[in-house]
Amino acid sequence: MPTCTFSLKDLNLLVKKTIKESELKDLLAYAKAELECVDGDEITVQFNDTNLPYLWSVEGLAVFLRGVLGREKGVPDIKIKKSDYKLNVDSSVKSVRPHISAFVAKGKKLDEHFLAQLIQMQEKFCEAYGRRREKIAVGVYPAKKIVFPVTYKAVPPRSVKFVPLEFMKELDLLQILEQHPAGKEYAWILKGVKKFPLLMDYQKEILSFPPIINSDKMGKLEIEDDEIFFEATGTDLDSVNLAANIFAQLFYERGFEVFSVNIGYSRKPLTTPDFKTGTIKIKKDDVARILGIDLKDAEVKKLVEMARYDFSSYSVAIPAIRKDIMHPVDVVEDIAIMYGYDNIESLPLETYTTGGTFELQRFVDKVREILVGQAYQEVASPVLSNKELLFNKMNIKDFGCVEIKNYESLTYSVVRPWILPELMDVLMRNKHVDYPQRIFEQGIVSVNKDGRAVDYERIAVLTCHAKADYTEIRQAIDYLFRMLGVEYDIEDADHGSFIAGRAARVSVKGKKVAFIGEINPVVLNSFGVDMPAAAFELNLSDLFSALK
Amino acid sequence: MDVKKLAEKLHPLERRVLPVLGKFRTLPQIASATGLKDVEVMRALQWLQNKKAVQIDTELKEVVTLDKNGEKYLEGKLPERRFIDKVKDKEIAVSRLEKNGLTKEELNTCLGTLRKKAMILIIKNKDLRVKLTDQGRKFLSKEFPEEDFLKKTFPVEVKNLAPEEKHVLENLKKRKNIVKVELQKIMKAELLPAGRQLIQLGVQDEKVIDALTPQMLRTGSWRDKKFRHYDIKSKVPRIYCGKKQNYRRFLDGVREKFIALGFSEMKGPLVESEFWDMDALYMPQFHSARAIHDAYYVAAKPARLDEKLVKRVKAVHEKGGKTGSAGWQYDFDVKRTHNLLLRTQGTACSARMLASKDLKIPGKYFGIARCFRPDVVDATHAVDFYQTEGIVIEEGLNIRHLFSLLKMFAKEFAGTEEIKLVPGYFPFTEPSVELFAKHPEMGWIELGGAGIFRPEVVVPLLGKDIPVLAWGIGIDRIAMFKLGITDIRQLFSHDLNYLRNARVI
Repeated sequence: MPTCTFSLKDLNLLVKKTIKESELKDLLAYAKAELECVDGDEITVQFNDTNLPYLWSVEGLAVFLRGVLGREKGVPDIKIKKSDYKLNVDSSVKSVRPHISAFVAKGKKLDEHFLAQLIQMQEKFCEAYGRRREKIAVGVYPAKKIVFPVTYKAVPPRSVKFVPLEFMKELDLLQILEQHPAGKEYAWILKGVKKFPLLMDYQKEILSFPPIINSDKMGKLEIEDDEIFFEATGTDLDSVNLAANIFAQLFYERGFEVFSVNIGYSRKPLTTPDFKTGTIKIKKDDVARILGIDLKDAEVKKLVEMARYDFSSYSVAIPAIRKDIMHPVDVVEDIAIMYGYDNIESLPLETYTTGGTFELQRFVDKVREILVGQAYQEVASPVLSNKELLFNKMNIKDFGCVEIKNYESLTYSVVRPWILPELMDVLMRNKHVDYPQRIFEQGIVSVNKDGRAVDYERIAVLTCHAKADYTEIRQAIDYLFRMLGVEYDIEDADHGSFIAGRAARVSVKGKKVAFIGEINPVVLNSFGVDMPAAAFELNLSDLFSALK
Repeated sequence: MDVKKLAEKLHPLERRVLPVLGKFRTLPQIASATGLKDVEVMRALQWLQNKKAVQIDTELKEVVTLDKNGEKYLEGKLPERRFIDKVKDKEIAVSRLEKNGLTKEELNTCLGTLRKKAMILIIKNKDLRVKLTDQGRKFLSKEFPEEDFLKKTFPVEVKNLAPEEKHVLENLKKRKNIVKVELQKIMKAELLPAGRQLIQLGVQDEKVIDALTPQMLRTGSWRDKKFRHYDIKSKVPRIYCGKKQNYRRFLDGVREKFIALGFSEMKGPLVESEFWDMDALYMPQFHSARAIHDAYYVAAKPARLDEKLVKRVKAVHEKGGKTGSAGWQYDFDVKRTHNLLLRTQGTACSARMLASKDLKIPGKYFGIARCFRPDVVDATHAVDFYQTEGIVIEEGLNIRHLFSLLKMFAKEFAGTEEIKLVPGYFPFTEPSVELFAKHPEMGWIELGGAGIFRPEVVVPLLGKDIPVLAWGIGIDRIAMFKLGITDIRQLFSHDLNYLRNARVI
């Protein structure tokens, strides 16, 4: 979610109204934005909807707020001047980064504040909406240096050299990816690509290496510049055209004249920016159905226009700076927002339903209750764990756990397939705490069975004190099974975590459901515990299904 | 207090200790006079002090005892004794002495102390040699003051040492493990008037019953005796019993609350496909939340999915399918939708519920789902947490019903009717709303997010468009508040003292 910093004075100027600091929070809510902080004239705003990039500049926000405040209505006004500027698109870019849009803004001088805002918008737009420049990257240039037509093509990485922005020496395109900070940061976008995109003017002066970096000579905007060339390149035609529209609006708001550029795609030439509105039809009934409020046509029209659409008998014109409207519900939401969530009265649910949970859940809770009755303290642990704890320290082999491919820390690198190791961890961390320590954990585990994860509810129960032994833990499971009315069989078992000859496997109706025994001193040692312990671990999902 | 009443409250230990207090005052004395253990005497004295019968005074004493080398040298000989015995009248190489039963360390000590006392002469030639001085030779037939000192009866109080003995002590203290000087607490019990009165009264009363026995009950012998009165205010040792873990208990309560509100529980697997976790929720495959750093991907075979369902979801993503939507306008990757990850959001359970045969319309569902998101673990970030989410499905529901549902949640879970509903954004709901509630103690909190599922979510899964109100509640913040903790990691604490002593909520 992008966070942007604006000047409140600047915003007021653009909105043409003085917004008080106290009104700001409520106004921003209309834009699904939150006021993060206010520092004098500087306000920091977080935008929660990542599909509305036109709001992320102070100019775009102002256009929107003029609608909310009733100073303007309908699709925002913008005039684009026709021009002869031409940008040729070579077919070589097709397999690399096929699309480009552009415009030229003239007639005003860049001041320091606007330049800073422009750069902020460029960054937020490319990062949050342009998928870190992969989908869309945006560049701005002093247009007076450029001799049109401009050419967009793809070239072999070693074939050209230029001085990248804020750099001292000439580099070829591969060197830029290796040496320039921006090159290093965005090199991943061009991974596996044989030719790299390049933008140059009629005199073969290099403007930039999209989406990486501008040239220092041709691509450096400065205060007082009064002719700006804008371009956006990317992988999706609609998105790069949207970028041109959003930025053109921004310059227009600042009093620049915006001139279109003819994009010479070989198949289908275009002119950008293109402010042709989109259309979506909503049904009169949609509003009442979704919002539960009865609005007259005129009221709907007023609200729709507040949200800066045009409205004509339920046909809604969408401004060319928006691409987020996919379905009539999107317009209905805007109607609701303009109507004000506060003004929508709540209506109680009337249909009676009975609540409930799963039988297994009730069973699991019953087992927990019986263990608490036996004076065992319940423990809870993260589900994520690691092989060292789960297997090595428990003196057994990995019997199948779900492994995370992109873990950040080894501590949380697999999903636990059993719980007892967590209880051993409790013993390890509480060596100076009063014994006897009788603890249990009930919880979900996931076992990797031939590449498929299977979840189980399990319980591990452990007693630890100077006289803890097999008899005591056997009594615990025996009591549990008696209280559940379950008959069980018990047989010798071989399990590295338990002492040989003092370990057993418990089965119910032929289904093996539990291990029980005295903890192997090897295991106690690996946890640094010098107190005897005995434990059982029971698969409650299996037990439950065996009983059904 | 009345002395007689006081006498009735005396514990058998107190009864045994009191009579000897006239003669004895210190712990060892009292213990040997009564035949009780030190701890028993201490407890009795403590109780008597509580009853204002005795005054316990403690003073600190500096006491010398022999350490392990001291004991050894007392039995054998001091190193310097062995040293001069070896040298006698000869001039001898130091290296030879080392071979003759003195450790390197002892040798160094001897050289140091003896030279300081001018008892030896060190001659540096090719090798290091020593011989005794006249002063040194005197001690061939005479005890060193250190030897005298070791023969004292320890422990000895430093205060009582003669000045020259103190000097010897200072020297010995500098050497390794010969003497220990410790501060000891010496306890003295002083009888107070009430104590003296108790003794006069005679506390060794045979007619007082301490513990009632089955025998007494059978024979009735208790009838002509009195029960000792307990000091009912005295502290008792703590016990630890069985108890549910406090966070689990809190979640149990949340479950019961939903059930009471008419909601049925829904579930889903920990290891989820991208399909159920995101695609079915109309989150485009290029959504930023799907970047590799926002989900834990697992190595596993591709998920088994209902491919007809996959087809419908694919169509909706690409061009809106049969929903009247334009869709996200991109090529949906069918292979990718089968990738497995650890569930990132409880909403995956809602998606599964919508496509389930068990879905009832009208219906209300909730899930308390374990979810996972990569993060750096600290006091406010966990990688492994619970999400509480749910849906309400019924023909004719609209945003006004959703608002009343949210009001109810605010009341039930945050105990407040003061709420604020603001526009929000979730990829799977439209309209979307965020719920803020003014908790009576925590102030304004972000309690949850909600909305009406988009047709692009509902239609492919359900086959038709019926209003589905969807919501999620941030239950962990309330849990932490109720449990009185500020570090999210403590929800899964392995600190047994914390778990045992945590208040039951």
